[in-house]
Amino acid sequence: MSQSLAKECNEAKERYDTCFLKWYSEKYLRGIGSLENNECSELFKQYSKCLQGPLKERGIDKMLVEAREDNKENDALYLGRKK
Amino acid sequence: MKVFSNSVTFNYSWEEVSIANWQKYSPWNEKCTHVIAVDTLSRTVDPATGILRTERLITCKQSAPEWLKSIFGGVDESQVFETSYIDPHSKTVTMVAQNLTWSNLINVQETVIYRPLNDHQTQFEQAAKITALCGGWQRIKSNIEDALVKRFHENALKGREGFEAVLAMSRKVFAEEREREKMALIQAQAVNIRMVA
Repeated sequence: MSQSLAKECNEAKERYDTCFLKWYSEKYLRGIGSLENNECSELFKQYSKCLQGPLKERGIDKMLVEAREDNKENDALYLGRKK
Repeated sequence: MKVFSNSVTFNYSWEEVSIANWQKYSPWNEKCTHVIAVDTLSRTVDPATGILRTERLITCKQSAPEWLKSIFGGVDESQVFETSYIDPHSKTVTMVAQNLTWSNLINVQETVIYRPLNDHQTQFEQAAKITALCGGWQRIKSNIEDALVKRFHENALKGREGFEAVLAMSRKVFAEEREREKMALIQAQAVNIRMVA
């Protein structure tokens, strides 16, 4: 797997990525299993928590606000939702 | 604004491609060393459509021509925000990405779609719109756009080569894993037979 932008999160990221890949290939693609509260949820929480600090330090959290706003059009297009 | 587009056929099923896609920038890919980090920011399944929506942050470090570097303040690390939508019913992977860094200077928007061609092949379509925003000077804008299109093209070639390596490795690893599971099952059955006999 690739690295995280924050070295201290590499381990948490690797654990989560490995879990997700297994879930994705063995469950999601076969139409079984759910993302909510699954075997990877706790790992994702830990990984995300680790990232929060580094994202804020680099000012990326602010840039994401605008990027997500810009992306709403894509959500409407690809999720078939109304804006 | 400049446009870049590219299409490739991969000799792997859509399922294999969509799995390997998550590992595109892993160490198996020796070509895309300009991608130095990939972080998942969010992941949800849309209850209405079953579409898996993922947000990722991709960190790149790439040398740029000196004149371009000076416009970007000498920094060669940048971030890209990517949102992907995977529809397992229609078998489509759609990825949209935009640059986060230098968004006041340039705007790069990329859309990638992976769709099955048949049971054993997947079609990859990529399109990018590149716009330099430094108001006024047309020639500078055009030069920046040209340089970025060229870089995009180079990265696309590396990306394709690198992804082929990941696909091959992924297929090998999955096959080995299945073989291991089969052997374990056979051994377990042999033990059972011996115990019963």
